[in-house]
Amino acid sequence: MLLFRSELHIDRWCQQWNRPRGGTMTLAQCWQLAREWYADRLSPDWRPKTAGEAQAAFARIGLTGEFWRLSR
Amino acid sequence: MTAHDSTLRLYVYDHILRHEQTPSVSEIAKALKASLRETRAALVRLSESHAFMLQEDGELWRAAPFSAVPTPFPVRVGKKSWYGNCIWDALGISAMLAKDADINSTCACCNFAMPLHIRSGKLKEKAGIVHFAVPACRWYEDVVFT
Repeated sequence: MLLFRSELHIDRWCQQWNRPRGGTMTLAQCWQLAREWYADRLSPDWRPKTAGEAQAAFARIGLTGEFWRLSR
Repeated sequence: MTAHDSTLRLYVYDHILRHEQTPSVSEIAKALKASLRETRAALVRLSESHAFMLQEDGELWRAAPFSAVPTPFPVRVGKKSWYGNCIWDALGISAMLAKDADINSTCACCNFAMPLHIRSGKLKEKAGIVHFAVPACRWYEDVVFT
């Protein structure tokens, strides 16, 4: 996942790499996601999130819909 | 995850935080008084969750959110610096450490400087969009392009 200055620059990058356009989030959402994902990483009790827990974390920050679905 | 895996996981993070680089397999084995075989097996188990990922030679490639190799996402926290695997992980280093951070990021399209600053748990910048090229269900099929 990469950072871009605008939608136009995402389109240019997709064209350059011959890739279809994917999903986007705001920087604020990415910061929220980073906190959801990594705040407990140094805990001795850390374990990987289950697919359900990860999906719930996405939903909390507004990442819903087919693109953000973790299981097929 | 076994008790040894858990110890190894925390050792890897402790090493990264102290030395600003990932430990080699032999360094991990020596520090934990384990054989190379045991250490490699533990790293493979820890890679099943994708929290750790290995290079072709078996050395660590990423111990999320840290990258073992240089990336376009350098993160500075105080006097120390690391590389994030992506913008999510670069922000994740600050989130993980609960510390202020400066991320020297750029636009992936044109290399325009887009430095980010986290202060007291808040991201100062608002401009910028994060793009995921691959749907969530396929993220680990092509990590580089995700």
